[in-house]
This record gives sequence, structure tokens and C-alpha cells, in this order.
Amino acid sequence: MTYLLRVLLTLALLTGTAVFAQGEPPAVDTTLVDTTTVAPPAPVTGLTGKDRDNDHGHAIELTWTPSVDDLENPSGARSVLRYRIMMWKPTEAYRVDTLRQMYDMVRSNYAPIRVYKPLVDSALILIDQGMVDVSALPFEVLLPEGINRTDAPAEMMKYVRKALQDTLAAMTAQVDISKDSVKVFRSNFLAAVESLPEAFNANGPSSGHGAWDSVGAEVPGATFFRHAGSKEEVSPDFLPDYADLYYRVDAATSDPAVYTASDVCGPVQASGQWYNSGRTVVLISVIIFTILTVVFVQQARRGKELYVRPLAGIEAVDDAIGRATEMGKPILYVLGLGAASDIATIASFTILSRVAKRVAEYQTQLIVPTYDPIVMTVAQEVVKSSYLDAGRPDDYNEDIVYFVTQSQFAYVAAVNGVMLRQLPATNVYMGKFYAESLILAETGALAGSIQIAGTDEIAQIPFFVVACDYTLIGEELYAASAYLGGEPVLLGSLKAQDYAKALFVVCAVAGFLTLILADATGAHWLAQFKQWFMVAD
Amino acid sequence: MKKTSVIILSGVVILFLVSWLVKGASLSGEENPYLQGFLTTFAAFLTLAVFSFLYRDNPFYKFAEHLFVGASAAYWMTLGFWQTLVKKLIPKLSDGLANFFEVPTEEHSYWYFLPVILGLLLLMRLSKKGGWLSRWPLAFIVGYTAGINFVGYLRSDFVKQVSSTFVPLLIDWQGVGHFFSNFSLAIDGQFVMMLANVVIFVGVLCGLVYFFFSKEHTGLFGTASRVGIWILMITFGASFGYTVMGRISLLVGRLTFLFKDWLGLIS
Amino acid sequence: MRRQLPFVLVFLSGFFMIFQYFVPHQKSEFVYEFLLDWLTIIGGFAMALGIWSLIRVSYDRIKRQRENWGYSVITLTGLFLMMFFGITNWEDGSFGVYIYTAEGLSNSMFVHFFDFILIPIQATMFSLLAFFIASAAYRAFRARSVIASLLLLAALIVMMRFNPIFGAWIETVANWLMNVPNLAAQRAIVIGLGLGMVATALKIILGIERGYMGQG
Repeated sequence: MTYLLRVLLTLALLTGTAVFAQGEPPAVDTTLVDTTTVAPPAPVTGLTGKDRDNDHGHAIELTWTPSVDDLENPSGARSVLRYRIMMWKPTEAYRVDTLRQMYDMVRSNYAPIRVYKPLVDSALILIDQGMVDVSALPFEVLLPEGINRTDAPAEMMKYVRKALQDTLAAMTAQVDISKDSVKVFRSNFLAAVESLPEAFNANGPSSGHGAWDSVGAEVPGATFFRHAGSKEEVSPDFLPDYADLYYRVDAATSDPAVYTASDVCGPVQASGQWYNSGRTVVLISVIIFTILTVVFVQQARRGKELYVRPLAGIEAVDDAIGRATEMGKPILYVLGLGAASDIATIASFTILSRVAKRVAEYQTQLIVPTYDPIVMTVAQEVVKSSYLDAGRPDDYNEDIVYFVTQSQFAYVAAVNGVMLRQLPATNVYMGKFYAESLILAETGALAGSIQIAGTDEIAQIPFFVVACDYTLIGEELYAASAYLGGEPVLLGSLKAQDYAKALFVVCAVAGFLTLILADATGAHWLAQFKQWFMVAD
Repeated sequence: MKKTSVIILSGVVILFLVSWLVKGASLSGEENPYLQGFLTTFAAFLTLAVFSFLYRDNPFYKFAEHLFVGASAAYWMTLGFWQTLVKKLIPKLSDGLANFFEVPTEEHSYWYFLPVILGLLLLMRLSKKGGWLSRWPLAFIVGYTAGINFVGYLRSDFVKQVSSTFVPLLIDWQGVGHFFSNFSLAIDGQFVMMLANVVIFVGVLCGLVYFFFSKEHTGLFGTASRVGIWILMITFGASFGYTVMGRISLLVGRLTFLFKDWLGLIS
Repeated sequence: MRRQLPFVLVFLSGFFMIFQYFVPHQKSEFVYEFLLDWLTIIGGFAMALGIWSLIRVSYDRIKRQRENWGYSVITLTGLFLMMFFGITNWEDGSFGVYIYTAEGLSNSMFVHFFDFILIPIQATMFSLLAFFIASAAYRAFRARSVIASLLLLAALIVMMRFNPIFGAWIETVANWLMNVPNLAAQRAIVIGLGLGMVATALKIILGIERGYMGQG
């Protein structure tokens, strides 16, 4: 609201400045105006429209053949500088626009006006009494450069006064703004929107009830336009579904009055689809991956031994806990900046549960400062049940896991403090990390702690690799989580991951070979293989 | 307190006061010069306090750290309160409250009482008896994002990567004879470009082999895995080197504040 | 029921999100956006938990006069002052309900706290990276294994890429490193990571992974 006031005031003051500047000679318009008359260009032909596929509706796609006189066509008159896309809007649709604007104004003005009206009123009185100190007004007034804020010319105050009055008038004049009127405007507007498709269906361009409205423009040479309307009724771009829409494309020239309209195309209707056929390849992957995982988890459940190669970082976790116990120093576990629902954080919870269990068994001290309140909640739960599993529920206390702050560098500052003051024997960083990774890992290294890290943030892995003793690279974090979870079924998914990777390799090699063959033999249909893996957005 | 500590502390206090007064005096003509002077000096003090951590942990750093933690926690809480609860939730539930907080009213949706209930259930953690109820909102959050991530990553990190790995080995191929007669080692030459595509292709495969968990890395498989980790390390080195310059410029930014905005030594 | 019900909820919400990915229709999108709003609102409530934990830990430290307890007083002071300025409209000694404007919170004390306390400390913490990247580089220099040397070599080439002493070839090599092996390794990591995340997400939805609920 203050914003509106400011904009209006600025506008008024700029007008005022223009009045001041009237004595100066008018600026010369140097734009070259082509005074030769332009002949009407050839029209766009073959205009077709269809509903956009695989979407939520409210969008139409138009294609056409450019005008012969297109700027890009060297053999024509080259007079078409752009294409204007026009949609037929029945009278009712224009009425809905008006209702929308009024509802919008009432809705957004109702609350602030209660506060601002008295302020504006009192400011008007002050100005009438000859006040020239703009900074004394209860809101900011933007003055043109060079005008003194505490001693504005009386002329200027006149414009301020006018702007204030206009703003007040705009807020109150047209409509009665009250709690009830908001509801009335809302229901009127929504009822009108409801009947919009009928209005479109009954009043095509031939009925004459309505007018053409520009919905976009395209550059010369274009043959395609996507009229993507909004699905929100309150948006000015709202485009109804299941309504008969008619389009035409105007070939426009440098002279606004000279253009040629194409034949009208329509009716076309926009509608939403229930299945996105562009994502079938993802659906197939979902099915394959789910089957693989379920099969291997079942195998593991039945007791089949699944081999997992040793990972240095995993073995280091157990060693590090033993070392901390020997030294009588705590272990610091950092879950990173992820939310509780980030997969990396969830993997980290599983590793934390193993660490906490060992810590409880060895009766070492554990410190878990957290960045996110929900992560804190979950981590408390995880650590508590690990202590329970280890048979030492009494050793658990709520201060092991605590919240610091949700500000990246404040969190880092606090964790650095812990590292330097409590000198943990081991620091474990598992989860999501951003720029702070290096600050944490270097401080820990300088403090002499053994450090183990794992993150899915590719950009941060190099810093951990340099500054930590063991780093779980990328997917190894998830492998470690499955491995340390202590349940063989969790390992089943590792097997599924490996099979998916093998599948990837097979597809990649096949793709590589088809491309070579396609290029070497000229059989370009082979390159189609790539299309199978394309996903619609 | 030790004698040296007292000396250092009083030195800092004196410097602070001097800076405050001098800065305030230099800003006369502006609004509230001494408040501005204080704030700039305080900001400079905090900057130096954080830098002092590089030497070792000390009371000034502890002061800055603890102030930062408290104020930033409140900052995020306040923002969450206004932007989430007031802006998103209140207009959906009550016109009266929306007007009280001066936010535009919206159509009511009583479905929005459900997240309120879930939010309150989350707060049940604070009670000893009802703590188990806090798992419900958690289950909703985790399930929701797991679902999104499952399809999201399968698409972006798997299916899409398949098609982008399909790089043509033969670039601008016009037969073997043409290839040899135009052979060159230039960086944008046909041979080097083709070599790059082969390296990318083999690199991806070897990198993937490194991430195979259910097979021992011995024999040919072991060699591929070793090549994989080499390529990974080269990449880590390259991106480490790439970041260095950007980090240095951050330091330059802070030094500019100290020497320009605070001390006014450079203009 | 206490134990199983949350996992049913995990399964249902997870399954719905997979389902809606393949259904572009407005109705499925509507539920999706609706649930997204829920998520942020629940997050808003969670802030209270965090603040409570911070207050409790700090208060406890002060009460028991633990080491460095004095600094906890500073934490609490910063917290309460910032909350006070952020939630009330206290200015010039008068109170009122805070007016939330499009420009954000405009209470002048709140802005001062942000500009002169939060920003300087934050920017300085961030700039510490300049020192740390130097010390990390030094650590890398002492590397003795083959793979660590590879890392160091690549880092040196990229770091020196604009250095005229080495001539133009170094920039060529650095660019090649960034465009070729880097691309390959990034892709291998992304595929591995993606599959790891996908597998974990699936385990969560199917209730195989339960560690995050405090039950292994």
C-alpha cells in the first residue's frame, strides 16, 4: 500500500517536474519515421490450432505458414515485421475482466485503507496549513533530485496534495470497501467466471458479440505460438477450459494501420490430460526400478548373502568412535543444512543411529548441533532409540541434539566454536553441505580431529576430499547408509542400484553404437533410438 | 581476569569509543550521525572479531558468535512468522485476523486447518506423553518429498543422462580418406573433438564402475574402477582450482568494508 | 497402530506424489500445490520447536553456570531483541501490530540489526573461506598418494589458467579439463547419486527404511 502511494506520488511529481520544465525547448524527436505508405502484406495461411498436449489445460498451440511478405523471406516484399496473435473475446469475457479488477482492488485495499485513510487525511490538513517539510509526513515522498526535503516549494506541495487526493479517491471512490463488499465482489466474480465457457461457446466471431484481443506477438519467420493462459481465475491471463476459442494471426507492418488478418481458425478447446504421455519412459523406469528393488530386498529378507565391497569411510566410523573413547573426547556429528525430508539427510539419520548406538555402548559423549528444527526433532528421536537399543536409555539426555539457528553462517560459527572449545576426537559430516563445507572441515582439521565426510552436493565433495581423512563420494553416502543401517534388507537396494547402473551402461553403449552406425552408413533412422529417452517437461 | 586480558579489553573499548566518536563526527549532516557512527563501528568490530578467530578462539569471537546465533535464529523465526503463517495461512482461515495483520483476504478454505493440526501435533514433541504424535506430520513431510524425489531424480539423474551420454563418435564424418588427409591436433580439429567424446564416454563408464558396490574391484573391473577414481580426482581438483578466485574476492569485499566504509582510507 | 500408522501415511503421501507426476490434469496439480502449502505451514510451526530448544539450552547453561555461560546471556539478548523488533511495531515508543508490507519488515531497529549485525558477521564468516581455501591447498600440496597428486595437478592447472607466465597452452588444457573429464565425472557422480536417492526414496515409501523415525 505504501508502495502504491509512493508510485502514485512519484508519478505525480514527475508530471510536476514536466510542468516546471515547460519553459525549455521541446526535445527533438530524432526517430526516423518512414513516411512512404506500406502496401498491405500477404496474409498468414494455413493457421491451425490445437490443445496443448500433456498439460493441465488452459493452453492452445497455434501453427501457421508465414506470410509471403515476411521479413525473412527474400523473395517477398519483406514488409511483415511481426505477427500479432489475436483471440476472439466475447463481451462477457470483458465483463469478467472488469469484475476481476474490481474484486482485486477491493481485496487488496480493504485492510490497508483502514490504516492509511486517517494518515492521508491528516497529511492533507497539514499541507493545507502551509507545511513545506516533506520529511514530516507519515510516509515517504519521493521528490525529484535537487528539491529540498525540508523546504519544498509551495508549487511542489500542490502536486503532493493532488497525488494524495487522487490516491485516496482511487482507493475509495469507485466502490464501497467494507468486509461484506469483499464477499459480494468475490461471489459476483466467481459466478461470472463459472459462466465463461458458455459465453465463449455461444458468441463466436460470427455473432459479433465481442472483439478481437491481442494475446501475444511473434517475430518474423515464426510459425508457432503457444497461448499459455493461467489456470488461476484471479489472474488476468485466465483462459477457460472447454470453451470454444477462435484465433487469427495478423501480419503487421511498420505502419500500425496496415496489417492483414489471416482466416479465423477455430473453434478449439483447451483441456487438461489425465496422463502425460511424454513421461512414459520415466514410468517404465519407475516400474523396472521398483521391481528390481523389491526382488533384491525379498532375497535379502530370505537370508541370501549380498556382497558389498568394503568402503574405507564406513570402517573409519567404527575406528573413530573407539579412538574418541580412548581419548575421552566427544564425537561431533553434523547433519548439514538439509531439511529432514532431503534424502541425504535421511541417509545421514541412518548413519547417525549407528554412530549413536556405538557411542552409547562405549559411553562416549556425542554432540549433534542442528540447523533445522524438524531435523533436530528427528535426530533426537533417532539418538534416543539408539541409546535404548544399546541398553543405556539413562545416558540419553535432550541436550545431545540441539537447535542452533537456521542461518547458514551463524550455524557454522557455532559449530566452529564447538570444535575449538570441546575439541572432539572425531567430526562426522553427513548430509547436505554448501559453501560452509570447507570452513567446517578446515577448522576441524586445524583442531586436530579425525574427520569423515559424505555429501550429495557435488560442488562440495572436492573440499571434503582435501580437508577430511575419509570422504564418501556421492553415491557412497547412500551405500554407507544402507550398510550401516545394520539390516540386510537395506542392502537389497544397493544391488538394485547396481543393476540400474548396468542397464545404463547397456543403453549408453547401444546408443553410442547406433550413432556411429548412423553416421558411418548414413542410416539416420538409427539415431531415433535417442528419442526413446527424451522426457517431456 | 588476568592482567593482559584487562589491558586488551580496555584497549578495544577505547578504540571502539574513539571510532564511534570520530565516525559520528565525520557523518554530521546526515540523519542521526552518532547512531550511524555507532552502527558502523559495531559492524567493523564484529568483522574484526570474526577474523580474530583465525588466530585462535577468543572472547571477542565468542561474543560475535553468540550474538549472531541468537539474532539470526530470531530473524528466521520472524520471517517465517510473517511470510508463512501470516501471509499464507491466516487469509485462508479468518477475515478478522487477516485485517488485523493487514494482509489481503482470500477465499476461506477450511482444509487449511489440517496443516495447523499437523503443525500442532509436531509441537506435541515437547510433551512427554504425546511425543509419538509428532511422527504423523513427519510422516507426511517425508512421504511427500520422497515421492517427489523418487520420480524427480529418476528422470533428471537417470533417464535424461542416458540420452545426453549418446554423443556421436564421428563428428563431421566424410570417410576415412578425408579424415587422414585433414588430420590435425588443433583443439577444435576433428580428431581432438572426437577424442573428447571418447574420453567422456569412457570416463562415464569408468566412473560408474567405481560406484559398483556389489562386485569386487579386481581384474579388468578393478582397472576400470581405478581409471574412474582418477577421473573423479582430476575433476575434484579442477573444481577446487576453479573456486579459488571466487573465494578470494569475498575477502576483498570485507576488506573494502573495513578500509572504505569504516576507516575511510580508500575512496 | 502407534508405530504402523505413520508408515501408512508415508506410503500414501509418497505414492500420491509419484502418481501426480504422471497426471498433468489440473485436479491433480491442485492437490499437489495444496499439499505444498501444507508443507510450508508445518515448517512455520516447527520454528517454534527450534527456538524453544535454543532457549532451553541457553537457559540451562546460565542456570547451572556452565563454562562460558555468560555468552548464553548474549545469545538470549540477541534473540529476544530481534524477535521483539520483528514482531511488534515498536518505534518512537509506541506499540502496534506490525504491518507487513510488500517490501518486507521495515521496522528500523529490525533493519539496523540485520544490516549492522547479521550482514557483517555473515559476510565475514563467508570471507574466511579465502583463508581456508589457501590452507586446504597447502594441505593438498603435501599429498603423497597418486590420486591426491592428480587432484593437486588438476587444481594447479585450473588455478593458473590465466597466468601469462605459462603461455596460452595452460588455458587450453584447463578448459579441456573443465569440459571433458569434468563432464564425464560429473555425469558418473550424478547417475550414481540419483540412483542412490531414488533407491532411498523408494525404501522410504515402501517402509523398508525406517531409521529416520527412530526405529532401525
